Amino acid sequence: MPDTIPAPALPVGHYGYDQVDRAFLADRVEQFRDQVARRIAGTLSEDEFKPLRLMNGLYLQLHAYMLRIAVPYGVLDSRQMRELAHIARTYDRDYGHFTTRQNLQFNWIRLEDTPDILARLAAVDMHAIQTSGNCIRNVTCDQFAGAAQDELVDPRVHAEILRQWSTLHPEFTFLPRKFKIAISGSPNDRVAARFHDIGLVAKPAPDGGTQFDVFVGGGMGRTPIVGVHLRDDLPEEDLLAYLEAMVRVYNEYGRRDNIYKARIKILVQALGTEGYRQKVDAEFASMNRARYRLPPETVAAIRARFGTPDLNAPDDAAARLDRARRADPAFDRWVRTNTHPHRAPGYISAVISLKPAGGIPGDATSAQMDTVADLADRYAFGEIRVTHMQNLVLGHVRQDELHALWQALRAADLASANIGLIGDIIACPGLDYCALANARSIPIAQKLGARFASPELQETIGPIEIKISGCINACGHHHAGHIGILGVDKKGEEFFQLTLGGSPGSDASVGQILGPALPEDATVDAIARLVDAYLVHRTGGERFLDTYRRLGAALFKDAVYATA
Amino acid sequence: MSDVRNNRREAGGSSVITANRLLDGRIVWQVAEGDWSPMIKDARIIPNAEIEAAIAQAAARQQADGLVGVYGVQIESDEATPTPVTVRERIRAFGPTVHPDFTPAAELEAHA
Repeated sequence: MPDTIPAPALPVGHYGYDQVDRAFLADRVEQFRDQVARRIAGTLSEDEFKPLRLMNGLYLQLHAYMLRIAVPYGVLDSRQMRELAHIARTYDRDYGHFTTRQNLQFNWIRLEDTPDILARLAAVDMHAIQTSGNCIRNVTCDQFAGAAQDELVDPRVHAEILRQWSTLHPEFTFLPRKFKIAISGSPNDRVAARFHDIGLVAKPAPDGGTQFDVFVGGGMGRTPIVGVHLRDDLPEEDLLAYLEAMVRVYNEYGRRDNIYKARIKILVQALGTEGYRQKVDAEFASMNRARYRLPPETVAAIRARFGTPDLNAPDDAAARLDRARRADPAFDRWVRTNTHPHRAPGYISAVISLKPAGGIPGDATSAQMDTVADLADRYAFGEIRVTHMQNLVLGHVRQDELHALWQALRAADLASANIGLIGDIIACPGLDYCALANARSIPIAQKLGARFASPELQETIGPIEIKISGCINACGHHHAGHIGILGVDKKGEEFFQLTLGGSPGSDASVGQILGPALPEDATVDAIARLVDAYLVHRTGGERFLDTYRRLGAALFKDAVYATA
Repeated sequence: MSDVRNNRREAGGSSVITANRLLDGRIVWQVAEGDWSPMIKDARIIPNAEIEAAIAQAAARQQADGLVGVYGVQIESDEATPTPVTVRERIRAFGPTVHPDFTPAAELEAHA
């Protein structure tokens, strides 16, 4: 059994487990320990065992087992991060990979070690449930939740409520396909709400309470679709009832005969927005609303199990940050790119890039994880957020302490100043690790990162999102990339198809295919030509996406496919 | 794991048999019946005309051999070392391209 690790009174930023939660996790670990023993003994076949291991986040990938660990709404505490570092050192190859769904994957796990790993995770209130299978997956959330200046409602309490509602939900354990929910509380969509099965945006209600915008039927994969806006006035007290109705309609009418047509996006398209809405409304009307009502007292009780930061910066915090920026140009650049405005005077949110030039997007060594945990304790109330862009965030940093934080990050090779720039590339594990992939994503990301390594060049190019997927399942979100790169298999060799014009945000759009797929050794040069064409044709402060939308694909097509 | 992409076989070609070890998931290649190696260079080369029967035979004893996901991989005909024809299987055989330390050859050397 793992060492006893004292739990903090209430962790800042996420729900603090109680004894019921811990007893459930302990039972679940022992259940899986028995299942693993039976698989090794041969009393469970692989076909019988596979759905059981997937319910515990354990995949068999290209080279080994992969364990995907849930980070609910992307928030960790330092104690949990240190445990992940310990697992990386002890059971894996000294690193972990943060994913586009705010989770963490270990790529070299042994089946026989998995029950012990899950026991260690349970000891710090973590697990790998809802990271695989046709269930409601781990709910993702705005990485600046509870901190952002532009936020209207902190959505993490509702994300936790959705987690508790969906975990082991008896009706929704065997849905037609996986089901992904994202939630934000800001009008500026940082969670790709419109690319999720359900996207929620919390906002103040006219009566002073909370209500939600609801998007449904978005998704990527082989059929990329921007979700439709189902309603803009879902009251908090009906949140669970209405989502229950939405998922019930999907569970009843979603296709189970064809895996490629089984996501809710296909159902919504087939029924039409109005047709789907009518079925949901009919289901909603027939429900026992009292039973599903989410009363303010319940929301308050969940909120009470969240630790809150004691935000109390000195009056001159902002002035001291200004002085530090003027004195240190490299720090000033990092502040420009890697921070986000905080709601509280004297505070700021800091983004830790996991995209060093030429590195593997989302990878962190155990030493880096420990460093981040230490820095979170020192500067950010022990709280760490994982972003769907595969970076980390310290949400609440005093402005007068930001320079010291940056120096510590730089010493750990964690201070790349590239957030939102061309070096901030999303890449799935691709064919180097993934059993489903057709092509390698990581080497393309590494070459692009090295090609555009200069921070000055990256700032000159400006905001641009490159996203790379190794297959049409689109874990690398290529459909939502300003420049999307999709790896395809042509007779056993890798080719890469470019898409332009995708966007994950409030202006969500699906990227359009530019032309024929390119060989691996031509892809990075083609993207460099694309960027050059943008720099020539942009006007004013246009982002790449703006220039593309203004001018269309033709000039970029010429840049990519013109032969010398 | 077995994959439809690995069922492409040329009539006159040759293949090797691969699987993952049950306990740690690591890739192995069949050397002889009941004998498996992490190195593809050790693999038994089987004409495609005989490969399906050989796969069936290996699959039938995979639990006893501590394996999962037995399947065949076509190899190039003109290479001294067995080399899969697809990039996917080359990565399985020779390790992830982004971590030279994690290749089967590097591991073997590290444990020598």
